[in-house]
Amino acid sequence: MANPEKNFFAKFGEKCKDLWGKFIGLFKKSEAKAQAAAEGEACTEQCGMIGTELTKREKFSRFLKAEQGWLFVLPAIILLCIFTFYPIINAFIRAFQQNYNALTGNYNGWGFENFIRVLKGDTGTGGAKFVQCLVNTVIFTFISVPLSTLLALLISVALNSIKALQRAYQTILFLPYLTNSLAMGAVFATFFTIVGTKNHTDTIGIVNMIFFPNNPIDWMQGGTGYTWNLGAVKIPWTKYVVVIVYEIWSGLPFKILILFSSLQSVNKQYYDAAKIDGASKSTTLWKITTPLIMPMISYLIITGIMGGMKQYTAIVGLFGEQMGRDYDMGTMVGYIYSYVSNGQMGYAFAGSLLLFAIIMVITVINLRVSKKRVTF
Amino acid sequence: MKITIQDLTKKFPSRNKKGKEVVAVDNMNIEIPSGKLVGLLGPSGCGKSTSLFMLSGLEAPTSGKIFFDNQDVTTLAAERRGVGLVFQNYALYPHMTVEQNIMFPLTNMRLPKQEAKQRALEAAQLVQIEDLLARKPSELSGGQQQRVAIARALVKMPNVLLLDEPLSNLDARLRLQTREEIKRIQRETGITTVFVTHDQEEAMSICDIMVVMKLGVVQQIGDPQGIYDDPINMFVANFLGTPPINIFKGEIKCGKVYIGNEAIMDKNVPDQKIYVGIRPEGFIYNPNGVLTLNLDHVEVMGRDKTIVSVHAASEKPFIRSIIDSDVAIDKDATTLSFNVKPNKVFLFNAETEERIR
Repeated sequence: MANPEKNFFAKFGEKCKDLWGKFIGLFKKSEAKAQAAAEGEACTEQCGMIGTELTKREKFSRFLKAEQGWLFVLPAIILLCIFTFYPIINAFIRAFQQNYNALTGNYNGWGFENFIRVLKGDTGTGGAKFVQCLVNTVIFTFISVPLSTLLALLISVALNSIKALQRAYQTILFLPYLTNSLAMGAVFATFFTIVGTKNHTDTIGIVNMIFFPNNPIDWMQGGTGYTWNLGAVKIPWTKYVVVIVYEIWSGLPFKILILFSSLQSVNKQYYDAAKIDGASKSTTLWKITTPLIMPMISYLIITGIMGGMKQYTAIVGLFGEQMGRDYDMGTMVGYIYSYVSNGQMGYAFAGSLLLFAIIMVITVINLRVSKKRVTF
Repeated sequence: MKITIQDLTKKFPSRNKKGKEVVAVDNMNIEIPSGKLVGLLGPSGCGKSTSLFMLSGLEAPTSGKIFFDNQDVTTLAAERRGVGLVFQNYALYPHMTVEQNIMFPLTNMRLPKQEAKQRALEAAQLVQIEDLLARKPSELSGGQQQRVAIARALVKMPNVLLLDEPLSNLDARLRLQTREEIKRIQRETGITTVFVTHDQEEAMSICDIMVVMKLGVVQQIGDPQGIYDDPINMFVANFLGTPPINIFKGEIKCGKVYIGNEAIMDKNVPDQKIYVGIRPEGFIYNPNGVLTLNLDHVEVMGRDKTIVSVHAASEKPFIRSIIDSDVAIDKDATTLSFNVKPNKVFLFNAETEERIR
């Protein structure tokens, strides 16, 4: 069988050579032209055709200057090509190759086989289930992002209205941002975990101590009593609670930082005007303050949703590499990695393209909606 | 609604503990009759805006009292005083349309939407912006934004309308037009209106009552012409009038007022050092006049002419005297002599700068 890939690279190489040749040619030509121009100058002094010759030279030197720019951005372009553009293009190509072997580079034929397997919930020699991961990710994201944005807004408004210790509170609220998410996940896990055997528990975890001292729930384990079955998808809701609480909390610092600073940039006169107009505190918050900082809120929601769709490390931090029991807490990115690690690259490629498509659709919707809401 | 201000004082604490506190408004006493247009006038930093904000309830006074009619509103919150306030830079809510901006005070009063819309339309008609209701503030010119701000202040039918430097953000032509507009709106609505300005011409032209302030202290209260004709001290005389009053160093000897060694008029008061203020229109050209000035140049304005001259005793570099354009002046003369109109000459004590009557 002809190797189309080799063909592709050969073509690509030729194209590169061609481009490079043109590039080198530019310099060679410029030298030649300069020489010609010098000769021309000598000639024009005799012939008196100064006007046309000079403008031609000017045009050329301007053209050279414009083309010089490419030389300066070349290092960045090369790095981007190697580490960003090539992998993206590669993923698009490989996703349509069946049974691609990462070690040998062999595959048999083209088609949508990978996508069909992914969407059917096939796991090959083991890995996460696509629909489960998709549902998990969407639920985590669409519950935690709005909640944490709302909470961040309320905290920022409160922070903005106090004078004493404002800086200190600001610092404390920002601290989690500097903490490693794996470490945070591990610490969070201990809050929710029951440690010990059936007959003897060492600790029931701080959350159970506070809220359920008599009937402690093993939040991190879930289990049959704490799982809703919805056909192909299982919702282990105790684990969901842990993840959502974690994501709300870990999303707060950055959001507070952004919202607080945008609150401080709101002209105080609007508040005076609102007071004169007889607006209550809550009217001022929802009708004046929020719309005024809406551009920042929508920025936070869009980036928050994009970040939420890519959630992975926190889940590993909380539930380990298997992401719960048999990947039941898997996320979209988790899905991709679960197939990378066991060499079933086809699933990973197809999964990443699907994730790409989903994020793109969500972002487009987001931008459409926020354009309507953020105009003044 | 009648406004009474009693012993109103506002002090701002200094930034560091050792520094002195700043007295923005010192012991202000004013009585404003109902339905009048009152101008608070003074140079920047004289406490006029602070006074206005205390009237609105946005600033709490350090001491003293404010009454609307007979009700003590000193501690009443801004939203319960029933005042409309137009901010210097209008403070229109940028995310709301003009209509929503004007309706905002009404929705806060929980008025039915239909009625609120009707009243917003009426307010818009009053300031002639009814065809701009669907626009956003960013799509309006400065003058239009100002009208929206006034409509928003008027729509709740306030007892008192307050305007903070209402014309300062407008260009010269619009300023003239808008000040007439403010006068008209005030007349039509009959709302007691207080506005703040640093522009004496603006205040003189539309005020019923003018309050001249300096460094937090009220200098003089009265109708504009009254204050112009009878200033209480040198600051007030100096602040009102364009071109400003001419000030000379002088003295009173044996019942005569001397500038240099020329006696310009009689004044039966004890001998003392004084400042002599002469309004530009207080000069009468007369070759045998009592006051001799060294001519610098003549500015011809058409309707009248301004003679710019210098004098050793003058406090300002140039003396401006306005005379009729029919009067022939020898432009090449080095000195010119004038008589003065006694009612345009004000004498001030050299130390206290208070008026000598």
